[in-house]
Amino acid sequence: MRVRSSSACAACAATAWRPQDSEKAKTFVHAFLKRSMPKMKDEAIQDMLTRKAVVLEHYHKKQTKQKRKKTKGFTAKQRRELRLFEIEPEQQRYAIFLPLHELWKQYIRDLCHGLKPDAQPHMIQSKLLKADLHGAIVTVTKSKCPSYVGITGIILQEFKHIFKIITKEDKLKVVPKLNNVFSLELDGFISYIYGSKFLLRASERSAKKFKLKGTIDL
Amino acid sequence: MLPAQLGRAPRHLLVCERGHARHPRSRHAAHVRDHAYSCRVSFLIPECGLLPEVLKSTIADFGEYYLVRNLPIHELVAHEFIDAFVKKGSCYALAYKTKIDQDNTAALLPNGKLILSVDKDTYEELGLQGRPSRYSGKKVMRYIITVDLTDAGFHPESKKHNRVLWALKEKKPLEFDFLLAWYNTGAEGSTLMSYFSKNQIQALKPKITFSTLRDLQCPVLQSNDLQGKPEESCSTEELFEWLGAVLNQVSLDNKSSSFLSTYCCPEPNTVVEKAFLCTITGFIIPEKIIQLLEQLCCYFGEPKLAHWLTLTVHGFADSPVSWRESEHGFHKGGENLYNFVIFRNLDYWLHMAVGTHDDCPP
Repeated sequence: MRVRSSSACAACAATAWRPQDSEKAKTFVHAFLKRSMPKMKDEAIQDMLTRKAVVLEHYHKKQTKQKRKKTKGFTAKQRRELRLFEIEPEQQRYAIFLPLHELWKQYIRDLCHGLKPDAQPHMIQSKLLKADLHGAIVTVTKSKCPSYVGITGIILQEFKHIFKIITKEDKLKVVPKLNNVFSLELDGFISYIYGSKFLLRASERSAKKFKLKGTIDL
Repeated sequence: MLPAQLGRAPRHLLVCERGHARHPRSRHAAHVRDHAYSCRVSFLIPECGLLPEVLKSTIADFGEYYLVRNLPIHELVAHEFIDAFVKKGSCYALAYKTKIDQDNTAALLPNGKLILSVDKDTYEELGLQGRPSRYSGKKVMRYIITVDLTDAGFHPESKKHNRVLWALKEKKPLEFDFLLAWYNTGAEGSTLMSYFSKNQIQALKPKITFSTLRDLQCPVLQSNDLQGKPEESCSTEELFEWLGAVLNQVSLDNKSSSFLSTYCCPEPNTVVEKAFLCTITGFIIPEKIIQLLEQLCCYFGEPKLAHWLTLTVHGFADSPVSWRESEHGFHKGGENLYNFVIFRNLDYWLHMAVGTHDDCPP
């Protein structure tokens, strides 16, 4: 008995494994499904076995882009190429900008109706918040990066995130506003500007309302 | 949840080293020299009733240290000071009565580096480049600024020197009370007393106390076995604990009283009739400690009853550096101390212990 079964196994092993014929496979699957799901009817099983296609994408009709109207003026790239806001090296001298500083002092004095020693700091503060700072002499007093501390000079240009300052040594320094505290001095009034709250273009700042908060930590 | 937090204690590190004092590559002097600021030195000699004359004279020769009140730091950066003291010999300075985790601190190392440990607001106003402290967590509250005074680029007209002087003199003047000491390598020149005569300078001598302990239980130690064998000798950790108890004059007799403590002298131990304990408190410089260590090694030149003796040195809890320039912080305790155990055959054990906010000692 044992010898016969082992020979049968050997015969199976000897022949190479071949995939089943499609007819045999079909009947096997059908019988298997019927045995696993006895309650399902034959038609339902056939339905499951027929392959169904799934639509994966819908085709939209291509929308034509509306033609953009040409805006008047230049794009930012063209403006930068025109270099309207750059100052040439020959003109980067501190002495040239001192009259600008005098003008600025006069402008602030007019704005606050004369800076008397007994004027309220609160009122000066609110006026300064909306004032234009071109021409003011500022010093960086506190900064998260220690190499910015101590830079003093006249503000030449104010952009959204930076100040361009010219120092006494005729160097044009670009100082970011973020994480810096600037101090402004005029006729005995010293104000500290927290640059992190001032991240606006000068033109937009005149229209913005500033909220009062507690102490500000850098 | 609470019991798990209670189980986690702040970490301490104890490094134990073994060597021979007369070996050419022995590093005992190097370790002493690396630890710049010491506030207390104590040594314990078992089986000794009277201190030998040699040791007495070494202790008396410890020299003076100076306390200067309200000294602005820019005086330490002035070139006259650097040429007169920092470059000739070793100058040690440490801010007095400032807390390392709350206030600004300053220290001058003998290799010419000025270390300022400042809090966040001072760092932002001062304007000198530094790095955040290693033990400050996510929101950095402490910064360390290092200025090398002996750098070649630090001569009087350089940008570096001008910037440092401007920051410390005009932008944010910082003043501290300083403990100063200077080890003169023989060159003649002015002394600290005459240089700072305009400030309120006081010369102070270290405070020395002697005591003799009677009937003390001392552990038995084997010099070549740091771990200790169960019935023959004690391990280094047991010795360290026992020594701490003895130096604090804790009675180890394990009697029942209102405070329950079961700590007693580690086994095996012998009872010693008398032991000599000497404590020196003050601003002590490493050069003097090396001289004292040499004399203690020579103590075993003549045959003595004692098998070993110990020398313990404590550093300041508020110093900004522990060994060399590694940062030191105060968490639950600011210990940074080392301890020598010297045997009859001049083998030594060296323990170096630090607290939580500290790097591993070298």
